[in-house]
Amino acid sequence: MTTLLNQLLDETVGDTSDVPFALLDEYSKREIRRAILTAVAVPGYQVPFGSREMPVARGWGSGGLQVTLGVVGPLDTIKVIDQGDDQGVNAVNLRRLIVSSTGIPETTVAAESTIVQTRHRIPEDGLDTEHILVLQVPVPEPLRGVERDMRELARMHAEADYSKMWVSLYEDRVRNGVITQSTGYPCLVNGRYVIATTPIPRWDIPKLDNAPFLSLFGAGREKRIYAVPPHTKVEPLTFDDVPFEVEQTPGATCFRCTSSMSFLVEIPGPVSRWVCSDTDWCERHEGGLK
Amino acid sequence: MNPITTPEWVLKVDGLGKVFGPFTDESIAKTGSDRGTSKDPTTGSIVAAWDVSFEVAAGEALGVVGESGSGKSTVMRCIAGDQSTSVGSVHLRTIDGGNTNILHMSASARRQLRIDQIAVVYQDPAEGLDLRVTAGGNIAAPLTAAGLRNFGAIRHRASELLSRTEVPLNRMDDVVRSFSGGMRQRVQLAKALANRPPIVLLDEPTTGLDASVAAGVLDLIRGLLEEFGLAAVVVSHDFSVIEMLTTRCIVMNHGRVVESALTDQLLEDPHHPYSQKLVSAARS
Amino acid sequence: MTKKFDPNMVLDVRKLYKEFILHTVDGRTVEALNGISLTVSAGEHVALAGTSGAGKSSLLKSIYRTYKPTSGEVWFQLLDGTFVDLVGLTDAELATLRGTQIGYVSQFLRAAPRRSTLEIVTKSGMQRGMDISTAREAAAVALKKLNLDEALWDVSASVLSGGEKQRINLAAGTISPPRLLLLDEPVSALDPSNREAALELIDTLTHQGVAVLAVFHDIEAMERLATRVVVLQHGVVGYEGSPQQTLAKLAGVAR
Repeated sequence: MTTLLNQLLDETVGDTSDVPFALLDEYSKREIRRAILTAVAVPGYQVPFGSREMPVARGWGSGGLQVTLGVVGPLDTIKVIDQGDDQGVNAVNLRRLIVSSTGIPETTVAAESTIVQTRHRIPEDGLDTEHILVLQVPVPEPLRGVERDMRELARMHAEADYSKMWVSLYEDRVRNGVITQSTGYPCLVNGRYVIATTPIPRWDIPKLDNAPFLSLFGAGREKRIYAVPPHTKVEPLTFDDVPFEVEQTPGATCFRCTSSMSFLVEIPGPVSRWVCSDTDWCERHEGGLK
Repeated sequence: MNPITTPEWVLKVDGLGKVFGPFTDESIAKTGSDRGTSKDPTTGSIVAAWDVSFEVAAGEALGVVGESGSGKSTVMRCIAGDQSTSVGSVHLRTIDGGNTNILHMSASARRQLRIDQIAVVYQDPAEGLDLRVTAGGNIAAPLTAAGLRNFGAIRHRASELLSRTEVPLNRMDDVVRSFSGGMRQRVQLAKALANRPPIVLLDEPTTGLDASVAAGVLDLIRGLLEEFGLAAVVVSHDFSVIEMLTTRCIVMNHGRVVESALTDQLLEDPHHPYSQKLVSAARS
Repeated sequence: MTKKFDPNMVLDVRKLYKEFILHTVDGRTVEALNGISLTVSAGEHVALAGTSGAGKSSLLKSIYRTYKPTSGEVWFQLLDGTFVDLVGLTDAELATLRGTQIGYVSQFLRAAPRRSTLEIVTKSGMQRGMDISTAREAAAVALKKLNLDEALWDVSASVLSGGEKQRINLAAGTISPPRLLLLDEPVSALDPSNREAALELIDTLTHQGVAVLAVFHDIEAMERLATRVVVLQHGVVGYEGSPQQTLAKLAGVAR
């Protein structure tokens, strides 16, 4: 009898060592996958899920991690970045965790990966129809700044009543001459739900629109998963006559690869220096080659 | 058989009733103006409004008069959708040609009506406005809710409405909290008219304002009602407001309509004892 | 009940009663009209005379429904020739008639604080069915006839004198000839020359076929305008006749 049971367990769970494949037990994976499927079926809708205790603290990518662990399989290759940098501390730790619990290969080249988990940036290039982009989300609720009441928030999304959001964009424009939101710009997905695009810069927003890859957003602390399926319309919220502008600093180029075509971040110092945020992209383009 | 063509109704209320708590036919019989109470002695339920019916045509203003507790505000809130209704029907000419009872619509469909069908001006402007938002921003709310996405057009329309309601344009970008009561009320009016609704409900629109300020706001409301051909329901305990704004009115007491008359007739020849009491109190 | 009507008759009041029940004073009753019957035809100017309290204003108000009659009938011939009983009409129907076919001019002007003279009269014209430019022109004509200085046309009516307000009232009430015109002391606050212009205007209306029922305290005005005088006594018709007959009788009674 016990042998049969063990046999059954072997078949379902597979690896009988202490740590299951990808850390999570199959039931957890099932729940996360179901949440992801719902999210993909209703683009932009925040699906609640039972966020587990993870070996990373809340607020450090536990949601993104759970999503990655939910979708990863033995044939995947993982890339993890933090602010575009594969070698950021957070990225290194997460990658180590993923690799050690799955045994899958890792890479810094987006084109060679199949899953990219990221904090606050989308890789400059390399993402394709075979990719899943997993974004770490601190605050999944785009309307948090304009409404506090949870039931009202649920109603606003349910009825696509985003007028409070529009009013805040109007006020922003009136007060500041422009819409000042710089990261996590609210976008309308598939013409229906407004999402928080996590703190990715405006620069990256256009990459989400009609992308060939699947984007999954995981918020561990807030316990929500949402998705932008491939080839889905993602429009930054703005007025018809107020164009959506991405960040530019005229004349700035990366001091390493001389590019002005990638998202640059400033290095503090006596003299202003700029460097590509996407370190992998920078390395591949060093010397000015595209 | 009717040789006189009166303009057809835009808003029709039929047998509207709202009871707080459980009730039976007896509860209804034991309450009302003749009983001197809205409270059912057996169940303790409050019959806030019962059997209220009226029609309002475009360009017409109907007054609902009564003291506090008469049920007049309850009626308004039921029509507006701020309050659920117990019985009765409300029809809008603009919805399904007047054949749908809007009380049977879902809460979210009722909310849709508030965007461009029914506008409400509350006694307390803070109820109809977001005080933390600018005057222009408050007007942007209904405009964006109706789908307007052009910043320039929103600004233009907001400034049109604000100048029509006599709010100085140099205050358009000031936060409403910094406005006086009368000015806040004007902003509320501008916001109410933003999407040109056919129906406007006004609840004590000038109560709480200084007399001189109130006079100006009333005059403005009167002008707006005419200019926009609105069908209006004006709820007030103040006869000077009713006189200024309405041609017909109903008097409510303990939840029931006790009299229905042309406004000038109510003021000069009230019939029901309660109406007489109200009018003579107002006159003194 | 025979509903036989003389096609010339615009107003046919039959046994009109008006009683006030004062609930605030233990239900005491006050009788204002005790069964009045009278008629007014198109082009007739019927003047109501009698001591104060006899029911003159009450009759006008009861026809207009500022007072709701207690019983009786008030038959009115619409422009299309149909007769309707004003007493039986709904408030909405009566309100419609008030704006269009029945005019009422009293000595009081309840003006909104910031409405200008011209606006008030123009609005009245628009209520009668005129479009805004026609109404404005007609308003100008009416105001000129009543000697209202153009300088006052853009002024808020509420700051004007009693006499000026009264003339605005008159202009508004007569901007386009109504079917029936009810006048309650329409010239009481006017000085002689303005009074003259006003009476002129009213006279013209009668010649245009308007049925006029008027209350004047002014004997001269009555003599000048009235085609018939009806003397009310204690809420009923005492006697009636030509101005000369009745006024002579009145003078005799007064002494």
